[in-house]
Amino acid sequence: MIFDPILDLFRGKAVTIPPMDGAFRPNTALDEAPVLALLDEPDNLAVLGNELVASSGNALYRLVPGAEPRPLQRFAAPVTALAVSAGGQLAVALETGALLVDGVAQHLLPEVRAITGLAFSADGALWLTNGSAEHAPSDWAADLMKRRATGSIWVRRAEGQPFHKVAQDLAWPNGLCPRPGGAIAFSESWRHRVMELDAGGGLKPLIEMIPGYPARISPAPDGGAVLAVFAPRNRLIEFVLQETHYRADMIREVPRDYWIAPALASGRSFLEPLQCGGIRTMGVHKPWSPSRSWGLVVRLDRQMNPVSSAHSRANGHRHGVCSAIVHAGRLVVASKGGDVIVTLPAEG
Amino acid sequence: MPSRERLQALRYNLIPDHLIGEILTKRWTDNAIPFLVLVAVIALFGTAIPGFFNPFSLQESTRQLGEFAIVVIGLTVVMLGGGIDLSVGSIFALATFASVGSFFILGLPVWVAFLAALATGALFGAINGYLVGFLRLRAFLTTLVTFIIGRAVFDILVVQFGAAIQMSFASSDAWDFIGDGTLAGLSVPVIAAGLLALVTHVTLTRARIGWHILAVGGSRRSAHNAGIKVRRTVFLTYVFSGLCSGAAGFLIACRLSGAGPGTGAGLEILALTAAVVGGNALGGGRGSVVKGLMGAVIVLVMTNGLIRLGYGTGTNQMVLGIMLAVAVTIDIRWLKNRHKVLNEVYVAPVYLKMGETQSAEPQSGTPFALNSRLAAAESIGLGALEGPEDVILDADDHLYCGTRHGEIVRFFAPDYTRSEVFAHVGGFPLGLAFDRDGNLISCVGAMGLYKIAPDRTVTRLSAETRRSLTSVQDDARLRDPNDLDIAPDGRIYFTDSTKRYDAHDWTLDSIENRGTGRLLVYDPRDGSTKTLLDGYRYTNGVCMAHDGKSLYFAESWACRIHRYWLEGPKAGTAECVIKDMPGYTDNINRASDGTYWMAWLGMRTPSFDLSLRHPAMRKRMTRRLPQDDWLFPNINTGGIVKFDDSGRILQTFGDLTGENHPMVTSMREHKGELFIGGILNNRIGRYRIEGADPEWTGMRAYWGTRA
Repeated sequence: MIFDPILDLFRGKAVTIPPMDGAFRPNTALDEAPVLALLDEPDNLAVLGNELVASSGNALYRLVPGAEPRPLQRFAAPVTALAVSAGGQLAVALETGALLVDGVAQHLLPEVRAITGLAFSADGALWLTNGSAEHAPSDWAADLMKRRATGSIWVRRAEGQPFHKVAQDLAWPNGLCPRPGGAIAFSESWRHRVMELDAGGGLKPLIEMIPGYPARISPAPDGGAVLAVFAPRNRLIEFVLQETHYRADMIREVPRDYWIAPALASGRSFLEPLQCGGIRTMGVHKPWSPSRSWGLVVRLDRQMNPVSSAHSRANGHRHGVCSAIVHAGRLVVASKGGDVIVTLPAEG
Repeated sequence: MPSRERLQALRYNLIPDHLIGEILTKRWTDNAIPFLVLVAVIALFGTAIPGFFNPFSLQESTRQLGEFAIVVIGLTVVMLGGGIDLSVGSIFALATFASVGSFFILGLPVWVAFLAALATGALFGAINGYLVGFLRLRAFLTTLVTFIIGRAVFDILVVQFGAAIQMSFASSDAWDFIGDGTLAGLSVPVIAAGLLALVTHVTLTRARIGWHILAVGGSRRSAHNAGIKVRRTVFLTYVFSGLCSGAAGFLIACRLSGAGPGTGAGLEILALTAAVVGGNALGGGRGSVVKGLMGAVIVLVMTNGLIRLGYGTGTNQMVLGIMLAVAVTIDIRWLKNRHKVLNEVYVAPVYLKMGETQSAEPQSGTPFALNSRLAAAESIGLGALEGPEDVILDADDHLYCGTRHGEIVRFFAPDYTRSEVFAHVGGFPLGLAFDRDGNLISCVGAMGLYKIAPDRTVTRLSAETRRSLTSVQDDARLRDPNDLDIAPDGRIYFTDSTKRYDAHDWTLDSIENRGTGRLLVYDPRDGSTKTLLDGYRYTNGVCMAHDGKSLYFAESWACRIHRYWLEGPKAGTAECVIKDMPGYTDNINRASDGTYWMAWLGMRTPSFDLSLRHPAMRKRMTRRLPQDDWLFPNINTGGIVKFDDSGRILQTFGDLTGENHPMVTSMREHKGELFIGGILNNRIGRYRIEGADPEWTGMRAYWGTRA
């Protein structure tokens, strides 16, 4: 209505979020998916020497079907990102900001504090996303709630060369996916979009208005990709992001687990915030109720358009998917909030 | 406290924002916009035109106003009945001609001239009414046709007889008096309009036909279904409008002593604008005579004012057109969005800094530490029951509870697998208690205090108390009666949780957090209800102390338990016994060992506690987010707390699995077991209490061995 801008001054502008529709239409595919392995907070999945590996806490685990995950390697701090090169080199980033390639520490500028994503492109270059110049990876909620956009993307063109910055002022870049022609796609979580950085350094959006916070992207054999979305957008959270005083007080006084902020898992403590729609009524928790956490994996086609998605809704538990990867004809999904790794059909 | 927070506290706790919402719920607020326009128009032209208020000028203006108002009243009635009458101008002109012709050409007496005008009006009104009412033609087109034909007839007649009228020497004192005289300073048209307005107003608001007209205008089909003769009612509105135009035509005939081609030209537009600008809905059913009158004054002052300020007819028409457009827009938008506006402004949060609380986390080691012991409770009525807020057992061990369908359900002892609807009360039965004679007394949400006798007859005991002096919204009505208990002398002490929200919206009261909860007492000896305490943040559970000398009541949103003294030196006063609990307090009931059970309907969360210190944020939240997204206190986790007369916490039970008893609103001890209810739950829990007296029952504890 044409009067809306005027009326908004009096009644307040409605806070809106993109609906989960089209390719994002909710289902229960994630909740029904068969379990591949139980693992505490599985974060990043990768394929190392034709075997599936997952990072969890300080360690890297090898995932063998039908067996307990076996620790492969342990590190001094929690692992925050993994990448394997075509030649079998393993790059591991740690919570401390350290980057190891085949166990050798790489030199990085102090600005790189939060390595959230690593990727080798076909030409052997190593890319990394630095989520924030201020916060460590585990402090992601603070970075969002303080509305920071200090992330950057770095690349090392060849072994032995230093890393240099190719993009900056990004709002928590998170997850990388090399594209043909020297370009690279990455998630910009706090802005709910997937961007492409072309060989010339130009940025353009590939997917916008994602109904959640996108995390890692991994290439699929059919030329498309798989996008993990680690938390849903929520009107109350968007509203709190606009409430300067309340937000500042919340960051100062409320323990972080109980913030009005996205989460990898929710409903575990009675001290967490509750929204009206999330009230359990007559023994039922409405699956479509507003939630701080959600499970969502999106299949993308060659043009990086969303095609289909698998969900674990508000009443499910396989939430907080930070990484999904196609391996041996299946889509393997790591639910960090649900402490489980499940498999889905690669096509869907 | 930072100064910003102190300012917020002052701003939101001292300025009564909630009154805006309460005033908007009143129907008379519909008049506010036309009234403001009226004041503005009079002020504007009163200052812009010199001598606007001088008696002579006012007299002339009001004379014209009287005639105009009569037409507008007629049109208003048609519009209230859901129709429209475009022919008022031509009927008016024809009636003028009829009186002038009777008086000047035929030389008939004044009263005959008057009757001729009325007859003309009635005839044309009846034609309209017959076509629209009985033949059910479209009102707009039909009256447009009568307008054109009427106008054409009038033009022919004026050309034919104009000269004859001019030449006539007929005169009469009565004619001149009606045209020029005054009675007690008021001209005849003003008196006539005043009387007509009064009669019409009383008829519309008090008489059968008036209600029928409003009903037909509001919804034709519903009116028909209700047995109202819709066609006849519509017919009558047009006849009435015709009569009004006729009467007004007679008055102008007396004033001008003639009829010319300009008589009544454009009157239909003026009258229509007046009726709509006054706030009468074009769709019918909503409006009043007063609105019509306000519109008449606005339009007439505006058009005359513009002419006297030297603006031409074009400007005048333009202003009228714009006014009509604006009025129609506002009318439609207001009608459509009124409830939205009300929703948005109704919630008016206040500032509250909750006290520091002890943790209830399982590993905290405090007396409040929750556990999952209630998960072991057996379920009664699972899947067959919705919303047992309170539960109670009678002397024969049968179990009773209310449901959200307004029923009292009875489960039969000993296994409670069979059940029946004991009584249907309606509303939402909440708190329950048995009196000495075995009558079940219930606080029924949205209704009042009710008694269900053992033979299942339902009697209302109380639905109102005395209205407080400063209330805008009538607070005599009990909006959310919540829990009760009965003193040894038979008096019933009960709570009414909030004056601001209806029973089913009880959770919204936590967002607002305004203290409007009351403690009341009903005296069965004289049937009176008195307010004992007021201004608590959601008064909830009530429980007589074991010695009967005081009672405990819960203040939910403040997480407190208070003690109200019935006798002794502190009689009639309340004191806080337990404060700053980590959960929201609900019903309280006696335990077998001389202590008390108390339910937590939900738990405090740090984010919600913080929002209580940010009333402006909560206000914006209610405006900008749909209700499902609002931040609520956590009512997905509750528990049961046991305390003694000194306010010491003895035990805490919870169900952290959230499967059986996510929230608890009531519990009742009976023969060593605890029966657990939850207002949002679909089952009653049955939990064996370790070490409890297996013989103890509430009935005996209250009423002795007799029961």
